Amino acid sequence: MAAPKPESKFIELKPFSDEMVVNMGPQHPSTHGVLRLELKLDGEVVREAIPHIGYLHRCFEKHSENLSYPQIIPFTDRMDYIAAMNQNWGFCLAVEKLMAADEKKGFEVPERAEYLRVLICELNRIGSHLLSFGTYGMDIGAFTPFLYAFRDREKILLLFEKICGARLTYNYVRIGGVSRDMPPKFLDEVKEFIDYFEPKIDDYNALLTDNKIFIERTTGIAVMDREMAINYGVTGPNLRGAGLQWDLRKDEPYSIYDRFDFDVAYGKEIPEIGAVLGDCWNRYKVRMDEMKQSIQIIRQILEGSIPDGPIMAELKAVRPPKGEIFFRSEAPRGELGFYIVSDGTPKPVRVKAKSPCFTALSALQELSKGLMIADIIAIIGSIDIVMGEVDR
Amino acid sequence: MRHYFANIYSGVYTVFVGMAITFKQMLKPSVTHQYPYEHSFERKKNVRDIPQGYRGQLFNRIEDCIGCKKCEMICPVDCIDITTEKLPKGEKLWDSMNVVHLKDRAEIVGMIEGNEKIESNTTVAIQTRERGSVEVASERIARVVERKPVIFYLDKFDIDMSLCMYCGLCTEVCPTECLIMIDTLKGIEYSTFDRTSLIFKFAKPEMYDKLLDEATDSEAAD
Amino acid sequence: MLPVLQQFIQKPFSELLVQENNKNLSELFLEFTRTHVPFLASLPLPLSQLIAMLAVCVIFVAIVPLLPLVLVLAERKVSAHIQDRVGPMRVGPHGVLQTLADGVKLIFKEDHIPRQGDKILFIVAPYIIFACSFAVFAAIPFGKSILVSDLNIGIFYIMAISSVVAIGVIMAGWASNSKWSLLGALRSAAQIVSYEIPVGLSILAVVMLVESLKMQEIVRNQGDLGILSWIIFRTPFTFIAFFVFFISAIAEVNRTPFDLPEAESELVAGFHTEYSGMRFALFFIAEYANMFAVSAIASTLFLGGWKGILPGYDFLGGTPGFVIKTLFLVFIMMWIRWTLPRLRVDQLMNLCWKYLIPISFFNILGIGIWVLIFQNDKHPAYIGISLLIIILGIFGAYLVLGRRSSQSPAPRASSA
Repeated sequence: MAAPKPESKFIELKPFSDEMVVNMGPQHPSTHGVLRLELKLDGEVVREAIPHIGYLHRCFEKHSENLSYPQIIPFTDRMDYIAAMNQNWGFCLAVEKLMAADEKKGFEVPERAEYLRVLICELNRIGSHLLSFGTYGMDIGAFTPFLYAFRDREKILLLFEKICGARLTYNYVRIGGVSRDMPPKFLDEVKEFIDYFEPKIDDYNALLTDNKIFIERTTGIAVMDREMAINYGVTGPNLRGAGLQWDLRKDEPYSIYDRFDFDVAYGKEIPEIGAVLGDCWNRYKVRMDEMKQSIQIIRQILEGSIPDGPIMAELKAVRPPKGEIFFRSEAPRGELGFYIVSDGTPKPVRVKAKSPCFTALSALQELSKGLMIADIIAIIGSIDIVMGEVDR
Repeated sequence: MRHYFANIYSGVYTVFVGMAITFKQMLKPSVTHQYPYEHSFERKKNVRDIPQGYRGQLFNRIEDCIGCKKCEMICPVDCIDITTEKLPKGEKLWDSMNVVHLKDRAEIVGMIEGNEKIESNTTVAIQTRERGSVEVASERIARVVERKPVIFYLDKFDIDMSLCMYCGLCTEVCPTECLIMIDTLKGIEYSTFDRTSLIFKFAKPEMYDKLLDEATDSEAAD
Repeated sequence: MLPVLQQFIQKPFSELLVQENNKNLSELFLEFTRTHVPFLASLPLPLSQLIAMLAVCVIFVAIVPLLPLVLVLAERKVSAHIQDRVGPMRVGPHGVLQTLADGVKLIFKEDHIPRQGDKILFIVAPYIIFACSFAVFAAIPFGKSILVSDLNIGIFYIMAISSVVAIGVIMAGWASNSKWSLLGALRSAAQIVSYEIPVGLSILAVVMLVESLKMQEIVRNQGDLGILSWIIFRTPFTFIAFFVFFISAIAEVNRTPFDLPEAESELVAGFHTEYSGMRFALFFIAEYANMFAVSAIASTLFLGGWKGILPGYDFLGGTPGFVIKTLFLVFIMMWIRWTLPRLRVDQLMNLCWKYLIPISFFNILGIGIWVLIFQNDKHPAYIGISLLIIILGIFGAYLVLGRRSSQSPAPRASSA
């Protein structure tokens, strides 16, 4: 498929007698926050769905220019608040790489801190995908999976509460390490959770993934094929749902991901149920599989031993050398990139976040043409956007 | 044709599978708390305590605060407002308290008598305000925050909790660890109807009056 | 079928409403008043008949709104326990008075009417829905004589009156002058009209077997052999018809997986988006009353009505037995609602026109043949044959389709 045509900036209202313009959002139960969709309806069929964003804009990038590097980290929490650990980590990785450019200022992140980061971020990935699964079920109309997902996510949040003292905005991963060491018996609790949670995934699959109605609602809908996904710059589970095995943890391993053995989840064509590469069902399924994959990684951490040692590199002040950096990491929703320009002072000149949700949302307009209202909901749920990250 | 019946079959079958799962769940006990009514969950099995180190409301032990303003500097949202007045050079108000962190994550606030250095296999006597002298085996001590002489009068130490984003950066930079986040229920349940009552004023000017009185008293006694 | 229609045409109108040999509640009431209340005895007979009927109606209208009160709480509790919660716990012991508290709250809420909406239709719509869902209760036999009126055309009347709800829904959706409401209302209209057909056809299967439209007659036809002579087990085709009826009934009362008219994740709240206060409460009460009515019809038609489980004994029979059966069906509706996702509009129609209606036609054909072959269809041997066919059918489906699907469609999806 070709690149998207440039759309007119102005809203053209053609007063057709049979076209109805409906505003979906910003206050709507299933637009995942404050997304506003301008739907042009022909009965139930959507002629065009134009997303309007910006309702949750909080000037993250401008804020960052006036804050020192450690102070920016709590602001990254507020971007993708479902997976705040990964956001922290993404920013810290970028700053660490920027500092490594100068030999004097470069430092090694301690081993223990790296293990803790992977452990925590994979747990957070499970939590994020759980929430995505739950809300997707609710979008499709099943209320119960939502509460099951929250029940299990709660257990993850309790673990986070123990290790970093907060439930949602963690501010845990810091430049050069992590903020706190784990409390005693933390690993046992993680193991307990993993053992509890792994069979639950099969339950969820039986309850929702394999449900005939769910399959009918999601297979073959809004097919974002490989080419289109690449053209739009869509990443993460949405890209893998289109059948491309692209996972930064595997393909450009950062931190210590190259020490773990895990399979990349990707979409599959299943003709029996009508699943096509890149349809809603496959995008959703990749997330379900990724939870198993994260468990795989966590098990490897638990089976091996986490080395003792410091949790924070010894660095006096975070003062990166003059230069610029773009670093991307695999957040639960896709590739999270941070572009940082430094002039050698404690504050960055420019911080730009490349948000995976934003690129995914940009494909919505093309995906939703000619589908029904109920399908629009299914698409929004399947591309799994968090408006905090789209608007920043 | 076969596809038609397979469709019906899978429709019915998966519905029954889903219903079996929800029915099984219905027989299990629930996991929720009736929060405002039972916040001490001792009676129930699914008790959860607020973990140690939870980031709740900010609190400053003003007696130990040295007025270094590091917290004010690091705060990303400028919710801490401090005004200090420096003492004449060379003077100090008092030695700040030691905070002795034990290995089981408890902490004792007090003055370590004598040498600050802790040698192994000894007991350390800590003079506390509330409990008098407490003796602790040195093996149990994880670390001791050093005492710092207080050379500032704190005229104002306000924290606006309505601005705070609970990042905890201020508590990490505090050299005397007197600025803490309360990790009990008290640190969570402090909602009010009035926004201005979320500005917590920790400065206690009368503390200095008492201190000055004591000083004059002791001078008189001498 | 034909003699029933002939009877219906021949009978004068006055006889339609009054039972000949089996007394119903209003007649009992009439007898009681004519012997024990001298004042009413002195009135002419038609007038006291009218008074007796009105009195019974008042009793029903007073009691029936209490059903939603119970059902709403039951729904909340069932959903809570399915979802690992405990549900309302604060008002009264274990929250039993929660619905009452909610009702009081709704009465005191502001009654908002959209300024640009159609005011009259907006006000009338909830009452139409409310009235229709309550009128259904007039023909439901709760017990041997607990019945407002055993109409000759009982089941036909129920079908007719319950489809009037669609008009109320469209009125509500149109009058709100809201796009979401309109979409919900149109969905609802299409849905109710379509699903009337499988409902009617599966009812027809029962009527063919019983050869009467009277509700009491249908109940009396069952229960000679206890549970075995319930119509659901009488022939393999009525077994299928029961499921067709139940699925379509769920669709007709707009509950998940067919709750498209009010789909909260798509249409905010569907046709009652703009309603508040007591008017909203009326929709709510009507929904639950409908749910109960539909389950009551299902248990009357297929599950033996007020007849007991064991032949001869009144074990789980009478009014309590009937209510237990009905509440069980209501529970299953709730259970389904909190398990399944929602269908899309076109899939909803597919299910109706491509699956349920052909199956119903097949049923009618089958029932016709069955009645032709086994004249005395209440003979235990014939019921045995029917049970055998049902069990073999289920196992056959499992072996033929289940084996195949265990390799491919559903289970593979999760393991792949």
